Amino acid sequence: MVLLRRKNRDEGSPAPTAEPVGTPIAEARPRQQVCVVGKVTRMTARPTSGQPALAVNISDDTGTVTAVWTGRREIGGITLGRRVAITGVPVVHGERLEFTNPGYTLLSR
Amino acid sequence: MRVIIAGAGSVGRYMAGQLQDSGHEVTLIDNDPVIVTNGKATRMPVGVTWLLGDACEVPTLMAAGAADADVVAAVTGDDEDNLVVSLLSKQEFAVPRVLARVNNPKNEWMFNDQWGVDVSVSTPHLLTGLVEEAVTVGSFVRLLSLEGGKARLAEVTLAAGSPAVSKEVTELGLPRESTVVAVLRDGHVVVPRGDTVLHEGDEVLVLVTGGVEDDVRRALVG
Repeated sequence: MVLLRRKNRDEGSPAPTAEPVGTPIAEARPRQQVCVVGKVTRMTARPTSGQPALAVNISDDTGTVTAVWTGRREIGGITLGRRVAITGVPVVHGERLEFTNPGYTLLSR
Repeated sequence: MRVIIAGAGSVGRYMAGQLQDSGHEVTLIDNDPVIVTNGKATRMPVGVTWLLGDACEVPTLMAAGAADADVVAAVTGDDEDNLVVSLLSKQEFAVPRVLARVNNPKNEWMFNDQWGVDVSVSTPHLLTGLVEEAVTVGSFVRLLSLEGGKARLAEVTLAAGSPAVSKEVTELGLPRESTVVAVLRDGHVVVPRGDTVLHEGDEVLVLVTGGVEDDVRRALVG
C-alpha cells in the first residue's frame, strides 16, 4: 500500500477520494440511518460508568449533532475544525441528535 | 410496544408470553432451529412472532424489526451474546430501551451504557438480595439497581433499636435524593404518606439516588 501511494504521488495523480454525500443536519431524523458532513466544533471527554468516552460536536450550516465514541479518549485525525462525514443511526439526546459509535470518514478541509 | 427478545430459552419464552398477554408486539429470536420450529408448530407462547437466526448479527436484528422496536431484551444464557446484542441494538438501531440478562455475576460490571445496556438484570444478584432481605433485620439491603446504578431500591427491616421506630416519615430526615416508596407491615403494603408512623418490624422500601445511601442508612438503621 505504501508503495502504491508513493507511486501515485510521484505521478501527481492523487488517490481517488469518494466524497460522501451528506444530508443537511437539520434534515436528519432520529432512528433513521443517515450520513452527515460537517466540521468538528467541540470535543469533550465524557466518561460514563467509569470508562472513557469521546463526545464530538459536528456542525454544518443547518445544525449540530453529537457523535459519542465509547472506550476512546481520542481518535486520530479528529481534531477541532476538521471536516468529517458521520454515518449511523442517531437518537434525540437533549436538544440535538446523538450518534453512538458511528462510522466516520476524515475529509480534506 | 414493539419488543424483541433475543434468546428463546425458558426465560425468553416466559417473558414473551407475559408481554404478549399484556398487549405488546413480541418477536422472539433464537438460533436453534429445533426451538424455533417447535415454537412455531405449537404456537406457544401465543401470538409471538418467531425468527430463526443469530441475534448477534445486524441482518437478523434488522429482520426482527429492530429499527422501530421500543425495547430489546437480550436474555440468552451467554453473557457475551447478550452484550453483543445490546451494543448492536443501541449502536446500529438506536433502540430506546435495552435490557440484558447477566448470567455470571462476575460479568455484571460490563453491563452498562458502554455496551448499550440500559437495564441489567442479574438473577444471582437478585437472589442474594432476596436471601439477605429474608434473613436480615436491621440492615440495609440493596434489591435493585436502576439506570446503571444511579438509582437503587433498598430495603430495611426496622429493628427494635432503629432510630426510625415510632417516627413519622417526614421526621426521618431522609435526604431529598431519597424517598420511602412502600412499607410492608404484617403482610400488607402500606402506601407511605408524610404522617405514616413506622413500627418495629416494618419492611421499609426506599428509593435512593446519588450518593446519599449512608444518610439513608443512618436514618433507618442507626
